[in-house]
Amino acid sequence: MILYEFDYERPASLEQASAHLRRLGDSARLAAGGTDLFPGMRVANERPATVVSLGALSPAPPTRQPDGAIRIDALTRLAAVADSELIRDAAPMLALAASVVASCPIRHMATLGGNLCQDTRCLQLNQKHDYQFKPDCYKRGGAVCYPFPNNPPGTCWSVHLSDTAPALIALDARVEIIGGAGSRWASVESLFSGSGMKPLRLAGDEIVRAIVVPAPAARFGWGFRKSARRGGLEYGASVMSVALTAAEATQTCRSARIVIGAIRERPVRALQAEQMLSGAALDAETIAQAAAAVAKEISPLPHHGFTRSYIRDDIRVKIARVLREAADRALGADGQKGEADRG
Amino acid sequence: MDNALRIKGTRSQVVEICVNDEWHEVSVRPRHMLVEVLREMIGLTGTKDGCEQGACGACTVLIEGAPALSCMTLAVDCEGKHVRTVEGLAPDGRVSPIQQAFLDQGAVQCGFCTPGMLMSITSLLERNPRPTVPEIKKALDGNLCRCTGYNAIVDAVLQASGQGVEPLMK
Repeated sequence: MILYEFDYERPASLEQASAHLRRLGDSARLAAGGTDLFPGMRVANERPATVVSLGALSPAPPTRQPDGAIRIDALTRLAAVADSELIRDAAPMLALAASVVASCPIRHMATLGGNLCQDTRCLQLNQKHDYQFKPDCYKRGGAVCYPFPNNPPGTCWSVHLSDTAPALIALDARVEIIGGAGSRWASVESLFSGSGMKPLRLAGDEIVRAIVVPAPAARFGWGFRKSARRGGLEYGASVMSVALTAAEATQTCRSARIVIGAIRERPVRALQAEQMLSGAALDAETIAQAAAAVAKEISPLPHHGFTRSYIRDDIRVKIARVLREAADRALGADGQKGEADRG
Repeated sequence: MDNALRIKGTRSQVVEICVNDEWHEVSVRPRHMLVEVLREMIGLTGTKDGCEQGACGACTVLIEGAPALSCMTLAVDCEGKHVRTVEGLAPDGRVSPIQQAFLDQGAVQCGFCTPGMLMSITSLLERNPRPTVPEIKKALDGNLCRCTGYNAIVDAVLQASGQGVEPLMK
């Protein structure tokens, strides 16, 4: 299928790109790797009059800052994130999360910033063919929602399927955003609006420039799992990410962050389970209780053929294993870093 | 390549792309994807145009040594870059070791996925000359073979990397 004619801008810097977006408004879209935008343009989900391509900009290599945090250029390819010695050493959860995204060629094209800023998806929205003539849904400006006909106008239950976002939120990462008013900082968590219509809290001319992952505290442990059927080139039924720290010289948990992605319009935190864990002993009983609490408090949307009850049960079983992994790492029972665990 | 560029959608721009060590000047519009330029303007039809949405991997080429899906890469973005296609694996008409391994292992059925597979494997072997079976499968997770002949393809990679597989057809 041949794409329609669109204008092309190739800025020489991110500031220039932001200026283009400001000038062109809603009619322009930014393409970094293009792996989310161009398939969307093929099925006419997106029809920007201008594509602002960041293809000429090369990312700065990841660096360790004086405070131990890791700064990663938003244009770093996911394959480079997964293979970077520095990131594998300092934030192995992020390297693992980047290595399970989509497929090998896509990981070499797609960027970390683009993975965060990808659009939400739903089967109806993203599996349209060019021979189908259906009235547009809410997200495309129409007056109907096909998968959820009872949804009121303006409610779009499309799902944010990023694999790296839950890991970055669990690691309490921050992003540097540049726009018309200069640069500002925000937590990755606050980047997401929770609305399927407009999933990102970014103004029209704002671009994510860098992601900064803070240095982990003492006795830090992590666990990550993408629940998927094939283990390659697919969206997760859910993406589970856990970061916890153990209290000094005890078997108890000091603080925990549990983030579940690919179940709602944004990655969600299981706040009640986090509270239940903090101050509690990291034993089998607590972990089973916390896993049940996670499954109870989340409210997954059915997506990509997975039902609500399947996703909930799947998370209840697998988050317990992820919590166990994180607890073992925090308590020092497991010195291994970055072992792959998917499926 | 750090110069800013602006093209109207209905205008063409001449860009230079190095394909298989040969520079080509092609006149492209913004909407032209690299696969269209390779197949229709340069005439290298080895690269296949499959799903056009990044799911099948038949259009995989190497851009600056890294595997990329040419159906999702704007041709203008490839200005000044080195692209390798399946034709570049056999520059003088002699098959490369990985192509010979595909023949020996019967890893070609209908052949539509083969050019993409070969490019993904070429990139893998350049990064990792002796990959394990899980590493091979991970590197090929973006290339679909609808004849489902994956085992023979994995065997072919093992043979090409000198890891002892009995040739099927010799």
